[in-house]
Amino acid sequence: MLAVELVDIWKRFPGVVANAGATLGVRSGSVHAVLGENGAGKSTLMNVLAGVYQPDEGSVVLNGEPQRFASPADAIACGVGMVHQEFRLIPTFTVTENVVLGAAPTRLDRGSLRAQVGELAERFGLLTDPGRPVWQLSMGERQRVEILKALWRDASVLILDEPTAVLTPGEAVELGRVTRAMADDGRSVIFISHKLDEVTAFCDEATVMRGGATVAASLPVGELDASRLAELMVGQATAVSQRRQRAAQVDGEQSPALVVRDLRVRDVHGRAVVDDVSLDVRPGEIVGIAGVAGNGQRPLADAIAGLSPAEHGQVVVADADLSTASPAARSAAGLSYVPEDRLGVGLAPRLDAVENAVMRSYRRFARRRIVDRAASRAHTEGLIDRYRVKVARMDAPLAGLSGGNLQRLLVGRELDEKPTVVVAAQPTRGLDVQGVAAIQQILLDQSAAGVAVLLISEDLDELLALSDRLLVMHGGAVVASFDPDDADRTAIGAAMAGAVSTEGVS
Amino acid sequence: MGLRLARRESPVRGGQVLAFAVGLLAALVVGAALLAMSGHAPIEVYRSMFDAALGSPRGWSATLTRAVPLGLAGLAVAIAGSMGLWNIGAEGQIIAGAIGGAWVARLAPDLAGPALIPLMLLAAVAGGAALALGPAIARARLGVNEIITTLMLNEVAIRIVRYLVNGPWKDPDGNNFPVAPVLPEQSGLPTLFERSNIGVVIAAVVVIGVGWYAARSTWGYELRIAGSSERAAEYVGISLKAKLFSVLVVSGAIAGLAGGIELTGSSTRLVEGVANGYGFAGIIVAALALMRPSGVAAVAIAFGAVQIGGESIQTQGVPSAISNLLQALILFGALAAAVWVNYRVVRTGRSVEGGAGSAAAAGAGA
Amino acid sequence: MTPKRRHWLALLLPFLLFAAACGGSDDDDSAAAGSEGESAATSDTKAAFVMVAPIGDAGWNFMHNEGRLGAEASTGIETAFVDSIPEGGAEFDNAVQNFIDQGFNVIITTSFGYMDATEKFAAENPDVVFEHVSGFKMNDTNFGNSFGRMYQPRYIAGMAAGAATESGRIGYVAAFPIPEVIRGINAFALGVAETNPDAVVEVAWTSTWFDPGVEGNAAQALIDAGADVLTMHQDSTATGQAITDAGGTFIGYHSDMSEQVESYLTAPVWDWSARYADIMQAAADGSFTPEAWWGGMADGVVDIAIPADSPVAAEMQAVKDEIIAGEFDVFDRGEIVDQDGNVIISDGVIQTELLNPFDDSVVVAAEGDGLNDGVLLNMNFFVSNVEGSVSG
Repeated sequence: MLAVELVDIWKRFPGVVANAGATLGVRSGSVHAVLGENGAGKSTLMNVLAGVYQPDEGSVVLNGEPQRFASPADAIACGVGMVHQEFRLIPTFTVTENVVLGAAPTRLDRGSLRAQVGELAERFGLLTDPGRPVWQLSMGERQRVEILKALWRDASVLILDEPTAVLTPGEAVELGRVTRAMADDGRSVIFISHKLDEVTAFCDEATVMRGGATVAASLPVGELDASRLAELMVGQATAVSQRRQRAAQVDGEQSPALVVRDLRVRDVHGRAVVDDVSLDVRPGEIVGIAGVAGNGQRPLADAIAGLSPAEHGQVVVADADLSTASPAARSAAGLSYVPEDRLGVGLAPRLDAVENAVMRSYRRFARRRIVDRAASRAHTEGLIDRYRVKVARMDAPLAGLSGGNLQRLLVGRELDEKPTVVVAAQPTRGLDVQGVAAIQQILLDQSAAGVAVLLISEDLDELLALSDRLLVMHGGAVVASFDPDDADRTAIGAAMAGAVSTEGVS
Repeated sequence: MGLRLARRESPVRGGQVLAFAVGLLAALVVGAALLAMSGHAPIEVYRSMFDAALGSPRGWSATLTRAVPLGLAGLAVAIAGSMGLWNIGAEGQIIAGAIGGAWVARLAPDLAGPALIPLMLLAAVAGGAALALGPAIARARLGVNEIITTLMLNEVAIRIVRYLVNGPWKDPDGNNFPVAPVLPEQSGLPTLFERSNIGVVIAAVVVIGVGWYAARSTWGYELRIAGSSERAAEYVGISLKAKLFSVLVVSGAIAGLAGGIELTGSSTRLVEGVANGYGFAGIIVAALALMRPSGVAAVAIAFGAVQIGGESIQTQGVPSAISNLLQALILFGALAAAVWVNYRVVRTGRSVEGGAGSAAAAGAGA
Repeated sequence: MTPKRRHWLALLLPFLLFAAACGGSDDDDSAAAGSEGESAATSDTKAAFVMVAPIGDAGWNFMHNEGRLGAEASTGIETAFVDSIPEGGAEFDNAVQNFIDQGFNVIITTSFGYMDATEKFAAENPDVVFEHVSGFKMNDTNFGNSFGRMYQPRYIAGMAAGAATESGRIGYVAAFPIPEVIRGINAFALGVAETNPDAVVEVAWTSTWFDPGVEGNAAQALIDAGADVLTMHQDSTATGQAITDAGGTFIGYHSDMSEQVESYLTAPVWDWSARYADIMQAAADGSFTPEAWWGGMADGVVDIAIPADSPVAAEMQAVKDEIIAGEFDVFDRGEIVDQDGNVIISDGVIQTELLNPFDDSVVVAAEGDGLNDGVLLNMNFFVSNVEGSVSG
């Protein structure tokens, strides 16, 4: 009998189907990976299992018994615990206090509680000091506290949502040992990830999701290689007809519009999330960057745009060295950036359409520091018209717009500044079919007009369709380069999984 | 399942107006019940509130005079608030401004009014700015939360004025009461009409002028971007540190001006209670103006009218407790309306990841 | 622009409704005004009181409100009051102006900080009588000031305290080191010395008129130092609570606090009703003449109840009778010696030059001068059985 069975789960949100008949079966005493790209529906499915969401259709079965969870508390009562990506700990409380919070015996004896928590931690190799306040702990230690919380509530099914995202490599290995110890104890561990090497290293079985549905259930990990999993994640090749029609061959002699040399960025934990990356993009060229999420694409884009400081390395746009320039100076030098976070970085959600549309150009519309309303409004109307943004009211906060409209406004605003280089990070993510097509067409038009485009995407089809060259990032480094016209998906998948395919590298 | 507030993606359209009307009416109805229960005729009381505040030139003079400190303090809070900062220290900055003004009057008591008054007001502006300087530097350089620092400096300002009026600035002719000496006669602001002085004009120019500037200038625009999202501000090349610093100092300076006008306009001397809670009332004014500097003037006048009306009915036998309750009810009605316009109530339980956030996240994946 | 205008209209809506509701009752207003015109001279007079803090149930403001009610009862003159009006701001101006607009023609302001503003109003409104309590300003026509010789009952309270103490230590919780308070402490200490020459009075300053927490802490400090009888010059009963908890005896101030404090023995109290009745009646008769009025026990503005169970009840009653008869002056009784042993006053003659407490260059009384109110109003020394400092 399976410890967990999720059968034909459907979950819809306004305008979005997050789970479309997803299934999952987990044996007790095993570590089970749930794999998929961002937006594949993994988190939604896990939230259904953890009682956070109620499914529209489908059933949750634990040890053969159908369950209906109205809340996370119900799920915990049935032995399902979840460790979320964002920890839910009280920083000023000690480890013990956090662990027993809400599940403490009525008679509190701090000493014995601490001893009990300490014993529990030792049993599963969760090294931590039960008496220390949480704010003093590293992210890895905090995660152990979260796991302890679930174990304290006697969870027999433990869901870890992208647990290694916050961990150093050493801590990740440690986590692997802990999950194994829990499985050996007869519990089921569900390990959500899109890092293939971890899946192959820690897990017994893997279920792969794509587009809200399960595409492969309970594959025995030991009999698969990482590249096969990657292929399942990214999907089958799409029709060649969607491929881009390249207007002209890029002139290889022309000097590159964007040059990145030996760029290295460290995160707050000191890890090199961008590890000596070098790349060139020539005018009129679209260079795609593929990779499983979290392999350095985002910090790379931020570093090129100047939003996060680089430890070392060069960023040159149109022969101007911008390595230490401010984001505004880079923008002025012809570098446009479409950030991954549309609302919050690219756009200000509480400001209206006009104020957002002139964020790059408002200084032009100001005389003696007073913004010319008519001019900025006219500029906005022009943008809205050219990029077909649907805005009900120009003076309403932007947060009400749909993703597609937001992105058109953002992309339109950035490209309207006549850039020489565009860095676009996940520009079509979350958009509907028309939105995707519109944004892709804008990028193609730009490249046809001689703009150098660096396109970062997790959608391999998109990259293959749009790119002139395809680079693959893994572990913060560019590990392979492909010609999209005759690329082998298996080889790309292998490169994404970290198994460098030498023949692909140019 | 509990309840919690979630910010609306966009404010209820046109609802603002309806909400305020309903909120105020509800408050008046509850207040009427309260008055009736305590043996007062509600309509009579409301009529005299209205008359006292807005029914005559004298009423308008009182209301506008009250709107001066409320409006300036409200502007101080709203300016910081438009960048997402909370200046809880307007009360202390008002005191600091009054100290600055009184100091000038001590140094140059014989200066002619047209020279002395502007100098006192300038010193008040400087005093308010000076008290905001610490929080501004701490926030811009070290990221120290300005709520805590500005709040704590209120207490510091009170201690300083208490020390001054009990010690070095104590009035030799004051029977040893903790008051500073009477200000030079020529330091009083000239009368505008009735009991109001030209402080009303000064404040109107500042509140409307700064409100307009914040709405229309690149400076105000950059504040709003930073207030909406710090990352977005960095992304378009706005120096967050400079903005944090300047906005807090400007905020303190505006509150300081309120202290200067109170000192030269309404007071005869520096006393411990010079700020009289206006700095805290300014937070309510700013909240009612939805943190938009351009909305502060109207709110300050309405708030002033409520206060003046509420105080006036005391002179007709309504106890101060009931009059205060009535004022609070009206404010509460208006605040509830402001909250309703910007937030909606959602049930928790589908909780933490439910609602807009997760739908957006899921949307991002489709 | 249309939507914007609509916003404004709707914002005004409640106010318009307000105005409409109010408009309907305009008739009553004119009727009221008419009836006022017909009535007799006395009913033209209305007296308004402005107070700094809520009237509460025991302190300074409570006793002024009691005085107001008493004066209203005895004269039949209508009165009104506002409380919680801060000193030195626009709220005071509005309240007074409101009263004047409503036809009040006697305005009595009962906090020191109202003095300047009251003076200003008196100049602007010559037809209105103004009386300020606890200050020193006045004019020749319509603005006077009143206060009471609280030191007289304080002396008698000191007699009771001296007889009540077993430890020989009496605590005195006091607000600010101003002459009014210092005078009260000295009078009290002289009374203590009469019934218990060995007892000492220890003073603890609080720097606040009303703060139960601070007052309670100061009281506790005195108790910890050995005091078993406490009195105070404050506006709350916190001192009484503290000494009750410690099992000692409490001597109050302002009003009869026997209801609030279990260990209450007696208290020097205010009674403003006669004074207020006089002012109101004089205003009604058109005979008001401003004065700097400083009333004593003979005028009834200050008083003390003699506790029957005190071992010195008879002596206290005798002193009380003598004070009322004008035969006993608290500070004109033999030698008055300060903390340093200097003889300050001997048989009503100043022995040591007395300076203004706030300005050393002003001589209040030279050696050989007789005792007068100027000396009392500027008192800045403690008598010998007081422990504490006049500089706070």
